[in-house]
Amino acid sequence: MNPAPSNSPEAVIFDIQRFSIHDGPGIRTTLFFKGCSLNCAWCQNPESISGMPEMTFYAERCIACGACANACAEGAVSMDSGRRIIWEKCTACGACARECPAEALRLVGATYSVKKLVRESLRDREFYEASGGGVSLSGGEPVLHSRFLASFLPELKTHGIHVLLETAGNYPFTLLNPLLPFIDYIYFDYKLPDDAAYRVHTGKGNQRILDVLGALVDQAASLTVRIPVVPGINTGFHQIKMMAHTLRAYGISSVSLLKYNPLWEAKIPRLNTRQNALGINMNAVDAVDYENVINQYSQYHIKASLPS
Amino acid sequence: MNTSPAYQNNIVMGNHDDRPSMGDTTERPIRTIGDIDEIQRLKRLRGDILNAPYHLCTQKASLLTEYMRQRRPIGAFVKLISAAHFRQFAETLENSRRGIPQGRWQVMAGNILNRVYLKLEQAGRPDPVIEFSRALEYILRKMPLTIYDDELIVGNSSAHRVGAPIHPDLGGLMMLPEIDGLAGRPINPIQTDPQQVRELHENIFPFWFNRSVMARAPLYSRDPNMFNTLLEGNYYILTQFAGISHVTPDYPTLLKLGFNGIRQTAETGLREALERLAKLKSGAPDSTPARASLKNKIAFYKAAVIAAGAAIEYGGRWKSHLEQTARATADPIRKAELEAMATMFANIPAHPPASFHEAVQMVFMGHVMLHQENFQHGVSFGRMDQYLYPFYARDIRSGRLTPERAVEILGCFICKAGELLPLFFDRATEYFSGLSSASGITLGGTTPDGASGVNDLSYLILLAYDQVRLRQPNFHVRMDDNTPREFRYLCYDVLKKGGGIPAFFNDNTVIPALVLADIGEKDARDYAVVGCVEWGVPGKSFPAAGAVFINLAMALHLALHNGRFAGRRFGPSTGPPERFSSMDLLLDAFRKQLANLVERAVDGNNVIEQTHANHRPTPLLSILVDGCVKKGREINAGGARYNSTGCQGVGLADVVDSLTAIDQVVYQENRLALPECIAAVDADYKGYEDLRIYIVNKIPKYGENSDISDHYANVVSGIYTDTVRRFSNPRGGPYFAGFWTMTTHMGFGTRMPALPSGRRAGRALANGASPCDGKDRKGPTAALSSAANLDKRFITNGYAFNQKLNPEYLAGRAGNILLDGMITGYFRKGGMQLQFNITDPSILLDARSNPEKYPDLVVRVSGYSAYFNDLTDAMKEELINRTLHCMTERTCCT
Repeated sequence: MNPAPSNSPEAVIFDIQRFSIHDGPGIRTTLFFKGCSLNCAWCQNPESISGMPEMTFYAERCIACGACANACAEGAVSMDSGRRIIWEKCTACGACARECPAEALRLVGATYSVKKLVRESLRDREFYEASGGGVSLSGGEPVLHSRFLASFLPELKTHGIHVLLETAGNYPFTLLNPLLPFIDYIYFDYKLPDDAAYRVHTGKGNQRILDVLGALVDQAASLTVRIPVVPGINTGFHQIKMMAHTLRAYGISSVSLLKYNPLWEAKIPRLNTRQNALGINMNAVDAVDYENVINQYSQYHIKASLPS
Repeated sequence: MNTSPAYQNNIVMGNHDDRPSMGDTTERPIRTIGDIDEIQRLKRLRGDILNAPYHLCTQKASLLTEYMRQRRPIGAFVKLISAAHFRQFAETLENSRRGIPQGRWQVMAGNILNRVYLKLEQAGRPDPVIEFSRALEYILRKMPLTIYDDELIVGNSSAHRVGAPIHPDLGGLMMLPEIDGLAGRPINPIQTDPQQVRELHENIFPFWFNRSVMARAPLYSRDPNMFNTLLEGNYYILTQFAGISHVTPDYPTLLKLGFNGIRQTAETGLREALERLAKLKSGAPDSTPARASLKNKIAFYKAAVIAAGAAIEYGGRWKSHLEQTARATADPIRKAELEAMATMFANIPAHPPASFHEAVQMVFMGHVMLHQENFQHGVSFGRMDQYLYPFYARDIRSGRLTPERAVEILGCFICKAGELLPLFFDRATEYFSGLSSASGITLGGTTPDGASGVNDLSYLILLAYDQVRLRQPNFHVRMDDNTPREFRYLCYDVLKKGGGIPAFFNDNTVIPALVLADIGEKDARDYAVVGCVEWGVPGKSFPAAGAVFINLAMALHLALHNGRFAGRRFGPSTGPPERFSSMDLLLDAFRKQLANLVERAVDGNNVIEQTHANHRPTPLLSILVDGCVKKGREINAGGARYNSTGCQGVGLADVVDSLTAIDQVVYQENRLALPECIAAVDADYKGYEDLRIYIVNKIPKYGENSDISDHYANVVSGIYTDTVRRFSNPRGGPYFAGFWTMTTHMGFGTRMPALPSGRRAGRALANGASPCDGKDRKGPTAALSSAANLDKRFITNGYAFNQKLNPEYLAGRAGNILLDGMITGYFRKGGMQLQFNITDPSILLDARSNPEKYPDLVVRVSGYSAYFNDLTDAMKEELINRTLHCMTERTCCT
């Protein structure tokens, strides 16, 4: 097959979730773009960080039929290994996943052309219209697919689809700026008190992120800042104070809190990732006093709320 | 939160709410649940009905037998033969219940005897239509009248508070082997009195076993073995030998004319027919078709006059009885109520009602009387908010009625409609679990002139249901582009409290399908839901909508096995699977097997319809359906304005998933040859578990909105609807195809071997037009899209789509926006019908373990709702397992 001509960009998508009702108003379809410029220690979707398709293995589903080993041309499947895949040999071609009857081996990430993704995005169009919903771009970091989005979003707009972007802001604003006319709403994630904390927990500093936030505020973009609550990492008195001050400085007066969910850690052994479990157990999660967090933010004149 | 175009669109959609509703006659219209306080009377009535035991009712059976015995004296010799035949018959039924079919010679001998009885009986008897109108008159004259505490609407469908009448003249003989154990049967026990049972055994069953519809139908059949085939329950189910039903009487005309007016019309018809006969007599020879037809007309008109007179007389009995009861009542308030009700009967049902209360009472009188003649299944009320509205508006304007009082009267009516149970023999219970007599009430929708029909009463009827919350009647809401948001939201508020009521219908797809089936546009706009999900023009159609259920999965099985099932030939020889070198050849075999299946079912049903026409006419129903009195023709003989018969395909999703699997595994991926695939299926996948898991996990399924399975859904649905609409019934009307199942998907499924879809032997088939259980893996919008993608032009008898939702995600106004998005979005896509089960799964689990805690837990089964406790264990299991759309939270990378 010929390589795709440069004027028909493609994107790697790792999930398309229809009937999304927690990623913006109404009934939505959320597109999960693969690839991220941060590496958050608590990332809920660690399979989204690499921009390339990759294999995952769900040991609990495996029926040990051996179809995968027969299918693999690279000798990258070992029935003796508990993780099944020999990562250094694996090319993520997906042949084993295609043959696996039990869906124990799965290829995460598929390449979509603009046309194909538009088609998928329009499947629930009548439901968007009837509920005030639309399409949500999530990931990963969707803005890294700026060139793809520059073709994709205008297409959606010709169909009158409401578009919401979920972003963490770590990229040059020039990537996002040309897309803004096609985005109706932005969920902007702000995670940590300062540059140092950002460097420790996400691998990147926060300067570029704040630049993007500032630019969005300057342009009066419709946005909500969201804070993922990570117990012990951004829930302390001092941390909240610093975050509140930073946000106030950008004119932000309300934020939406995202509850921490430790279930993502089950994904670690399925992936070829160096990510470690955060080890925040259920007790610690349950112990988070959201009422108190909300009160603390309110002391700094920030109205924090939990999504209903 | 933002003002995107799509978001604004939603607001625009509700703009018409601001226009003055045509029903605004009060200063503060009643629009939401909070607008009406709890009505104590309704609370008490509801309790009384929930506490009443289910009881067998032999009142109609007993009175009808008494009357007919006087008319049909039997000679001593015939008595002797018939006693011996009855013993043989009872034994045969018992054997059949244990799975031993009747032998060929036995069948033949039985049919010969029944033919002899028929010959003997016919000599010198009046036309059956006159005989049965006299019988109805006798029953209405003799049946005891009972007024229960608190009632504002009176009438007794049966002799018990909650009763299940048996109809020996129709198919009631099927109860013979189990009548002794009815009170102790594990599923749906129904109490009996010893003297009732004795009377049935000694007096009623022996009189009817050789002259009921069930005995006479095989005499008309090409397949004298028709009942054996039917009772196997493998291929198709025919319901009408239990009686005709599934019809909406012409209550609007009854309210306009009264029985007096109807009688006058019939009298005029009679006079004209007699005059024409007299003219004919002078010249024409005897027994010409014209003369025979006139004689039939005259008989019908005579019967119509008798039936209308019987109804008027029955009303008179209520007047005296209410007066008597009032006199004997000490409590002054109740006394006054009873006196007022007695006054109503001075007017109705002979004359048009003078008040809203009278109108509601008159409709219920019609319902009660019809059930002294017809089987209690799907006899529906039609568009109550439309035809009661003029009475409501007049009373409100004159100040003699308040909305609260209207709700109280309607609530009493709903309680009364909940007093009736159908009686099913044990095997039929598998196919029709839940004891629903499925009387439908239709609300909202387009009027014949194209305006929105939602009025104040539409709200009040739903609010009356909300106060009562019994499992029936069935409430159906028609939606069109003009349905006000306020009304939609009230529907959702009522729905979210559980019970699966109301269900939703899309005028934008239903009306065109009806028009395409040659129903006039104004009549099509006036459609009402009959029973569960099927439609008829109220008072103008005899749609026999619940007549036939076809096992589609069996047609596929036969196609894969060269016409054989369980080693026996049933269908034509369509070639061994080795010869199917392409999907097209397989589909061709499927088409042929299905055509044969449908043809045999249609033959059987036509025979039953013919038997009703010849031997069990229903004169009262005939005068309550438009066309019969005009044409002078009884309803079973084709008197109604529109005549059709409903034919449901069961297991749509199973066949779609099976064909998709074969297409992928055999023809696209070349994993194995078709015979090998069939061998795996026939082994119930023993030794082929890898293949089964592969099919289950990797092959797209109906309900995922994938291109390939949505394609096959239209292929299968198209083959089925094209097949069905080729046939016609003896009334001169077409067969209408539908996809709804009641619980026949369980009944058929229990008997079906494994399928290429990965479904194992004995598991339930998919219900209605829903995906197979657990196969809506892409969420509700994908499942709804699959159903909406079906070509609905020829699904003229409707489909049922079940959606289960967890109530915790639907709270408040946000929940209503979500539900509205799902329903109206689905309807914009072209969906036809949608119904919900919104009950917390943990409650269902608890109710299964502790039934005593949940006497009033109502759940949506299929096109109807039922008490959870009334369901078979298999149905309870299915309801719990039906995919729960948990709307799982998924956090993005943050």
